[in-house]
Amino acid sequence: MSTLVRRLYLHVPFCARECPYCGFYKHTPGRLASTDFIDALLAELSLRLETVQMIPESIFMGGGTPSLLSRSHWLRLASGLADRIDLAAVREWTLEANPRTFDAAKAEAFRAAGVNRVSLGVQSWAPRTLATLGRDHTPDQAREAWRMLRGAGFNNLSLDLMFSIPGETAEEWQQSLDETLALTPDHLSCYNLTYEEDTAFLTRHLAGELDVDPDRDADRYLETLNRLETSGFIHYEVSNWARPGKESRHNAAYWRGEDYLGIGPGAVSTINGQRWKTLPDTAAYTRAALSGENVRTEVEDLTAEDLRLEALGTRLRTIEGAPESLVKPSAAEEVALLVAEGFLKRRERRLLLTRRGMPLVDSIVGRLV
Amino acid sequence: MSLELTRNFSIIAHIDHGKTTLSDRLLEFTQTITMRQRQDQLLDAMDLERERGITIKAHPVTMLYPAQDGKTYKLNLLDTPGHVDFSYEVSRSLAACEGALLLVDAAQGVEAQTVANLHLANQQKLHVVPVINKVDLPAADLPKVRRQLEEILAIPGEDGIPASAKMGIGIEDILEAIVSRIPHPEVPQDNVLRALVFDSVFDTYRGVVSYVRLMSGSIKRGVQIRMFSTNKTYEVKEVGVFTPKMTARDVLEPGDVGYLIANMKSSTEVKIGDTVTDAQRPCIEALPGFKEIHPMVFSGIYPVSSEDFEQLKLAMGKLQINDAAFSYQAESSAALGFGFRCGFLGLLHMEIVQERLRREYNMDVISTYPGVVYEITKTNGEEITVDNPCYLPEPQEIQEIREPMVKAFILIPNDYIGEMMQLVMEKRGEVTITETLDDNRVMLTCGLPLNEILVDFNDRLKSLTRGYGSMDYEYDGYQAANLVKMDMLIAGEPVDAFATIVHREKAESRGRHLAAKLKEVIPQQLFVVAIQAAIGGKIIARESISAMRKDVTAKCYGGDISRKRKLLEKQKEGKKKMKAIGKINIPQEAFIKVLKTD
Ligand SMILES: Nc1nc2c(ncn2[C@@H]2O[C@H](COP(=O)(O)OP(=O)(O)OP(=O)(O)O)[C@@H](O)[C@H]2O)c(=O)[nH]1
Ligand code: SF4
Ligand SMILES: [Mg+2]
Repeated sequence: MSTLVRRLYLHVPFCARECPYCGFYKHTPGRLASTDFIDALLAELSLRLETVQMIPESIFMGGGTPSLLSRSHWLRLASGLADRIDLAAVREWTLEANPRTFDAAKAEAFRAAGVNRVSLGVQSWAPRTLATLGRDHTPDQAREAWRMLRGAGFNNLSLDLMFSIPGETAEEWQQSLDETLALTPDHLSCYNLTYEEDTAFLTRHLAGELDVDPDRDADRYLETLNRLETSGFIHYEVSNWARPGKESRHNAAYWRGEDYLGIGPGAVSTINGQRWKTLPDTAAYTRAALSGENVRTEVEDLTAEDLRLEALGTRLRTIEGAPESLVKPSAAEEVALLVAEGFLKRRERRLLLTRRGMPLVDSIVGRLV
Repeated sequence: MSLELTRNFSIIAHIDHGKTTLSDRLLEFTQTITMRQRQDQLLDAMDLERERGITIKAHPVTMLYPAQDGKTYKLNLLDTPGHVDFSYEVSRSLAACEGALLLVDAAQGVEAQTVANLHLANQQKLHVVPVINKVDLPAADLPKVRRQLEEILAIPGEDGIPASAKMGIGIEDILEAIVSRIPHPEVPQDNVLRALVFDSVFDTYRGVVSYVRLMSGSIKRGVQIRMFSTNKTYEVKEVGVFTPKMTARDVLEPGDVGYLIANMKSSTEVKIGDTVTDAQRPCIEALPGFKEIHPMVFSGIYPVSSEDFEQLKLAMGKLQINDAAFSYQAESSAALGFGFRCGFLGLLHMEIVQERLRREYNMDVISTYPGVVYEITKTNGEEITVDNPCYLPEPQEIQEIREPMVKAFILIPNDYIGEMMQLVMEKRGEVTITETLDDNRVMLTCGLPLNEILVDFNDRLKSLTRGYGSMDYEYDGYQAANLVKMDMLIAGEPVDAFATIVHREKAESRGRHLAAKLKEVIPQQLFVVAIQAAIGGKIIARESISAMRKDVTAKCYGGDISRKRKLLEKQKEGKKKMKAIGKINIPQEAFIKVLKTD
């Protein structure tokens, strides 16, 4: 009997260059997508469809930089998808894009295939900060990319920003927010820079080369919170803001604990209490997928306790909060303390972060486990 | 072999003057070991001894030496430790001997332990053969050392045999001197078995192995023996000598140094210094035993993970049989869980016990700040002793606290007298005698509180004299002092592992130091953390850790969820090792860090 899954993720691991802070599975030029790679994605999908009934309500194409695919590769991928699965129920189809990786024609092609939401990786509007981040676009190029997307008819555009980047001043961050709001985005993701394993930034951080200050991070975060709230955004997850109705359905499904199928090297799937990662090695993946071999790695069967911890960890971050039933009776005292001290509030048997608790979610969850 | 052809001797010296290296040469020269077995510092059998280059246990070995007079002698050698913490090992070895080789480093000259160890040998009326070692060194100064022998030790300078253990110079001269200058054992003619247990080790396979010196009578496999102090009898399973490995022999004869194995299974059954006699035909009186050694330095030892408690207990039992000076008793700490209060002879001894627990028994342990035993007269007239600051009575119940003192003998070059006096004063001590030893060295005799020399005194002495100073000490009773108990409070609650007994005048700086240390290691919390040092109710130092305002929250999408969960699992695991103090959760690891670095 096959399981019905409504969430599809596709991973495209190619980037124009490697950003020194990025811990995703991706690679740099020289090994751009090939027809074989597109076919491998489709082959893996076909293989999964033997056991999974995929009727997506949302699709998310992430990376890497999926907008980097050439127009012909894109068309091959899009039609391959349409051949294999019923796309009629898709309400949200997101594509991650970076400035300087597409033109108007490509934007049209995305739209034509059914993509209705684009998340543009802008990260910062300050040239100095962009340089620190090793991004290869200028603010003007980012604005140009945005205009092209709007021009292609996208009415659900999201923008990625990062704060607490080494060397970034309070003014530069305010300016980044100004520039961002001027574009009237429908959705925003703002992340505090994190130092991921195996990145150049982590190495520099550990060597003490970077100026890091959690108190300053807190200020940035609270400024962002205030600024976006007064601009009419709903803060629906610790790092995500949306105009009413423009919350990401796909991501919300992750946080609710729904099943999802992930295709492509490094993509993760969770279906029926089992989780796996697709082989995170593009060359090996392409070879194996094309010859119908197994590309699943790190397979784990999730226990009830695993699921409880995950649900607590993700749901508390959202506007809906976590059902109080996820907290064990032994932690009842902690809950009472955190509520009394103003880090949490209770609403209809749910625990919600307060404004004070929002930036401290990791420590709070840590006390509730 | 006849008694006339037996010689029992120890090698004594200041630390590092070359005792163990000389033993190597003696073993080679007498072909007790072949060149193939050769290995530097062969008698330092423990890994720890090899690594640190110091001897911890006394090591006996039997050699056969064909002397120039045409006779072959049986020589029983006991290598001994040089460090002051282990001087009891020296005394015990000396009790099994008639003579001692006193080694003096030709470049360093006479040092504090040279004086102290010679003193021990003289007390036991041993015949001393002085050897001036390391003559190969460019800085060797034979005439100077000969002068020091005369002036400081009152030994005729020309008696000193020049030698180099390293280069093998003077080895035969030393062997000849042993044969000609050290007397053979004198044995009572009654033929009654009297053997002195001067050491014991625990062997996993064979149980307790007792190291014995036969004073009279003989002993062999199968006979019934009686231990004088416990009055228990045992059948002897094996006797033998050290060559240097344990080698079984048919019989041990009067004057011999060797080992015996009876079916003693537990460390408590053999007491070092006890007399072994024949169960059928016992001796009337015990041999003079040893002064019981009392641990002087105490500290708590705790397993890092609480599941290891039982195993730690076993390990301590086994250690104790090899180390009678080490004591332990179960205790519990709110901060550290279940562990033991342990007694040691000194700081090196403490370090060594900890390290042996780690290495030989694979235990991950943490110890609390070392302290001493205090005597207290309470206002109601009751007299008590306290080795754990937590048990100090309330100030209003105390009439007087007395602390253990030492008499320290500090040997330094003249140039450093001023600085040394200052150090002694800083440590609440007093220089009582200043003696000139020769044209450039003095010996300071000082009274010092033991507690003050526990931690860094020797290091400071070494560094301030550029390595030329040395020290020995002996215990010197108790003396009243203005001592108080200082508590460290976290979030208003005292943390037992950090309670200390300190001199009133030093409390504040110590309190500030500890508070700062704790501040460094306690992770930021959702709440402000107050750290205070207090005497009675009075706060004398404080620090506070501001509340955390943001923890960097990573993205959380489909691919991040496993990682997120693993983090939560870690936090959940970590919570078990957390100590909750009010609203604050402190990882035990933080306490451990402070204890480790302090
Ligand atoms: N140059 C020179 N070095 C020597 C001589 N004898 C020993 N040493 C060195 O001195 C150091 C200490 O030697 P040990 O034999 O371990 O000294 P020890 O007296 O047994 O030391 P403890 O057991 O710690 O008291 C080692 O580095 C030896 O190599 C010698 O005759 N000449
Ligand atoms: S941040 Fe985006 S563009 Fe940069 S390396 Fe990572 S995936 Fe590629
Ligand atoms: Mg030695």
